[in-house]
Amino acid sequence: MQEVVIIGAGVAGLSLARALAASGIESLVLDKSRGVGGRAATRRVEGQPVDHGVAFLHGSHPEFLAALDAVDATPLEGWPLRVRGEGRPCQPRAFRKGERRLAFEEGVTAFPKSLARGLDVRRGVRVASLAARRDGVGAVLEDGESVVARNLVLALPLEQALRLLEPLASESGAIRPIASLLSMMTTEPCLTLLAGYPLDATATGEPEWDLFYPSDESVSMLVAHDSSKRREKKWRVLVYQCRSCFSRRHLEADPEVWIPLVLSDASRLFGDWAGRPLWRVPHRWRYSRTDSANTLARPFWLTLENGARIGIGGEVFSPGGGVEGAFLSGLRLAERVVE
Amino acid sequence: MKEVRTLEDLVVRDREHECEGVGPMKVCVRVIAVAELPTRFGRFRIVAFWNNRDEKEHVALVRGDVIGAENVPTRLHSECLTGDAIGSLRCDCRDQLESALEKLGNEPRGLLLYLRQEGRGIGLVNKIRAYALQDKGLDTVEANLALGFRDDERDYAIAAHMISSLNVRSVELMTNNPRKMGALTQHGVKVVRRLPHVIPPNGHNRFYLETKRDRSGHWIDFEGKPHLLEQSDPVVVDGMGEPN
Repeated sequence: MQEVVIIGAGVAGLSLARALAASGIESLVLDKSRGVGGRAATRRVEGQPVDHGVAFLHGSHPEFLAALDAVDATPLEGWPLRVRGEGRPCQPRAFRKGERRLAFEEGVTAFPKSLARGLDVRRGVRVASLAARRDGVGAVLEDGESVVARNLVLALPLEQALRLLEPLASESGAIRPIASLLSMMTTEPCLTLLAGYPLDATATGEPEWDLFYPSDESVSMLVAHDSSKRREKKWRVLVYQCRSCFSRRHLEADPEVWIPLVLSDASRLFGDWAGRPLWRVPHRWRYSRTDSANTLARPFWLTLENGARIGIGGEVFSPGGGVEGAFLSGLRLAERVVE
Repeated sequence: MKEVRTLEDLVVRDREHECEGVGPMKVCVRVIAVAELPTRFGRFRIVAFWNNRDEKEHVALVRGDVIGAENVPTRLHSECLTGDAIGSLRCDCRDQLESALEKLGNEPRGLLLYLRQEGRGIGLVNKIRAYALQDKGLDTVEANLALGFRDDERDYAIAAHMISSLNVRSVELMTNNPRKMGALTQHGVKVVRRLPHVIPPNGHNRFYLETKRDRSGHWIDFEGKPHLLEQSDPVVVDGMGEPN
């Protein structure tokens, strides 16, 4: 039996595993995807990094800032320096005085990669269900294998956590109220379009901004000038993050249905060139962000009737949310595990 | 700087005020604006504060001349939109607020700090979620803590700074929780004594006299709704005796 199993190798799960390791407690981290970091994600398009989830990192908590300082990558302090548009930032806190903002030239994923160093992370492992065992909780994997833990932590978007919790809730008076509370909350979806343009400024009309918040547009809520983070680059890359309503409407549709809508919106915002990228890569974030009204004060640490513990963490479980919130929820959970 | 005699002088004084802050959050407040506020409970003045930590605009209701005064009867009240303004019966906030203002309105001097931390910091949305869990009979300590119910450390730090900004020398604290005196003292406020905050019984709170607490420690009212403790004080209705 494992002492601690953490489901989800996003920033919350990794920060928890790291804090536990610092206290001498080993843990096993499972994640369904190939990489680590969850929504703090970077992909490479012919070698050029593109942040297709979180566009930049921001925070003010000393431990979060220390973790950023420990990243072995090239920080771009202050990014985004040039913020334009009249729209409301999804994380207004990011632009408050005293808040540190940065990106990494190698991509934001440098941060979760740095957190994951030295930890036991098993990737490409999807947990199908949870089941109470005699003195622990079993995570049943998709291939039928089962990992039993004395302490099991869900560091997932809350809908995914809830899906795993629901079978336990019917048996456990400790889980039921928490499942009920989580079912009152939602994570917003976000359709995202990565678009590559020629670097030649005469063809594109050099965008003089790093981040753009469209005001009354109904399609995009944020456009990141991603290539402004890269010193070596082949393309000018813009990343369009769509509004929740738009994303929800087209979530299950073929991307060819909504990509033209994003691009026609782009040409209206930035000029004709923006509507004619050389390449485009759609990405569907079914669970992307929470707003501040959808965050809780702290993570859960619940004791089941058989004495096993279940932790629930993630950005939702820290006031204000975001990557910093996810990180801090991991620290708070670690404190409770160590107790 | 000229001597501070009136509340208006405090506004001028505080234009340049910046201190290291009070409590673990190092909160610092400034007196920003002052005006007359006649109320149905008597004549008060209202003092608006700015603070360096968030956008919450706390206020003090001041009765009589408190600058430099000793033994000022003082009540701390946490904002509760549903109770204070709308008259919700899911809590006792309005009874507690009105009763405090009535008592202060009959005193030559007094102070009510109205702290804009809805539901003791829980926020309005999460308070309504807490009610929703109660409606399903599912509220637990763990759920309420996650929704943001917290101890009152922060409230007391900010309250202490507000009291000292008003140049109040010492207070008599209207509370049913003797530990709260220590919380203020710790932040440098001289608390001379405690005034029990007993509210008169009425048709809405009479259940306190007649029913018991449920398993989770809430009072259940005649409608069958549990009452969350939304003020930092236990409620004491005249006739029920003080809690231990």
